[in-house]
Amino acid sequence: MLLILDVLTTAGILFVVSIGLLAVFGVLKIINFAHGAWLTIGAYCAVIAAELGLNPWAALPLAFVIGAALGGLAELFIIRPLYRRPLDAILATWGLGIVIGQLITLGFGRDVQMTPNLFSGTVEILGVDYSAYRLVALGAALVIGVVFAAAMEGTRLGLSARAVIMNETLARGLGIDTVRVRLVTFMAGAGLAALAGVLLTPLTSVDPNMGVGWLIGAFMLVMVADASLVALAVACLVFGAAQVLISTFVSPILGSIAIAVLAALVLRVSPKGFSRA
Amino acid sequence: MAEAARELEAAAGAALALDGVTSGYGAVSIVRDVSLKVAPGEIVALLGKNGMGKTTLLKTIMGLIPSRGGSVAIDGQAVAGMSPARLVALGVGYAPQEQPLFQDLSIRDNLRLALPSDRLLPGALDVVAGHFPFLKDRLAQKAGTLSGGEQKMLILARALMLRPRLLLIDEISEGLQPSVIDRIAAALAAVRGESGASMLIVEQNLDFALRVADRWAVLKLGEIDDEGPADPGARERVLSHLSV
Repeated sequence: MLLILDVLTTAGILFVVSIGLLAVFGVLKIINFAHGAWLTIGAYCAVIAAELGLNPWAALPLAFVIGAALGGLAELFIIRPLYRRPLDAILATWGLGIVIGQLITLGFGRDVQMTPNLFSGTVEILGVDYSAYRLVALGAALVIGVVFAAAMEGTRLGLSARAVIMNETLARGLGIDTVRVRLVTFMAGAGLAALAGVLLTPLTSVDPNMGVGWLIGAFMLVMVADASLVALAVACLVFGAAQVLISTFVSPILGSIAIAVLAALVLRVSPKGFSRA
Repeated sequence: MAEAARELEAAAGAALALDGVTSGYGAVSIVRDVSLKVAPGEIVALLGKNGMGKTTLLKTIMGLIPSRGGSVAIDGQAVAGMSPARLVALGVGYAPQEQPLFQDLSIRDNLRLALPSDRLLPGALDVVAGHFPFLKDRLAQKAGTLSGGEQKMLILARALMLRPRLLLIDEISEGLQPSVIDRIAAALAAVRGESGASMLIVEQNLDFALRVADRWAVLKLGEIDDEGPADPGARERVLSHLSV
């Protein structure tokens, strides 16, 4: 029972961490290697919110807004000028991630920061005592996934974003303002990353480089999902399960590299990953 | 300045005026020094064999490929460098040939994407239903599940959604049976009759092209080889350019 809950909550956390990266990859066709830095920005929003004496939950909207605003600036001044040079754009996001990590170090120091618990204690579920917060994180993943899917399926902007994902040349030819779609998507992706950063704070230590490890996992998951939200959910479940099982029964060290290794194997066999399954 | 003024003067009165347009991909110029005019309400057929630059020329007019030289004017307004979104706002409708539909989206969503706002949808659907009634009855059907002919009608319908003043149509008759070609020819004639729209149609189907067009031009290796009116002698004259 414990194992099933671990798998589900791990998958939920991986989903929350990856969904912003997926949105940016789908629409802009670049991997945002600064994604980890935005997770870190979000976590430090929780630190700032605590210093300001705000309710810990207020850090969620705060992080989304700040993350999206900074994402907008990054798209405008760094990504957009490199629109026709996607490889350079990817390198630029890598550099941007390093710069943000250093700026956070300058502002807050290298030390691990303490943040208040969003939700503490355990609850009894199906006969076992389980971390209440991990269940909350799973709920948050479901809410974010459903809201994201509804926005993509039910709004005009979501339709335009899907059109750009499917065939950007055709979308442009029909008069869709693809520049605006890219900007809004990058802002949403950055905002979601920062939101995920806040949700990670009770589970991981908050320091200037906390995003790097999560970035690698998210990157591999998005590669396997290939811009499909459903495929991302499946990938999070499968690889999350592998991570939990290997950590529990073999070694936590191997568990931590399970996602990267398994994703590489899947992509070797099926370059399109899970998106066609 | 004087040259720009002269070009605009030459373009005045034309729905579409190309003057010395050159464009292409990478180091290669596919379209070279093309000058062509479409008068208001006129249908001009752009003919030529595969790989002669017809599609590239349409994409250049539409702002999907940057032009390397020359000028493009629509209703006397220089438009080179404008985004496709601005051209659509100026009244240009485009029916592409390559990957022309979102196969996984419904008819309704394919049509919606041609509009800047969903508020315009009911009126625009009435416009297209007037030409192709089946579209309005099957709005939820995925575009990829339509027959070849139905897909072509959807592509044309989508280009008509905003009642464009200038239509750029790329090989709409390709692979179609005669009855569908008749419907499309009738729709083009009706559109021109109702709104006075001008059209530049790229075609391989000579009979269809000469039936709907007022004038023709043959593109050969990226340059205009010959042009003339769609009169009884046109067919032979065009064929003489296509056969070599």
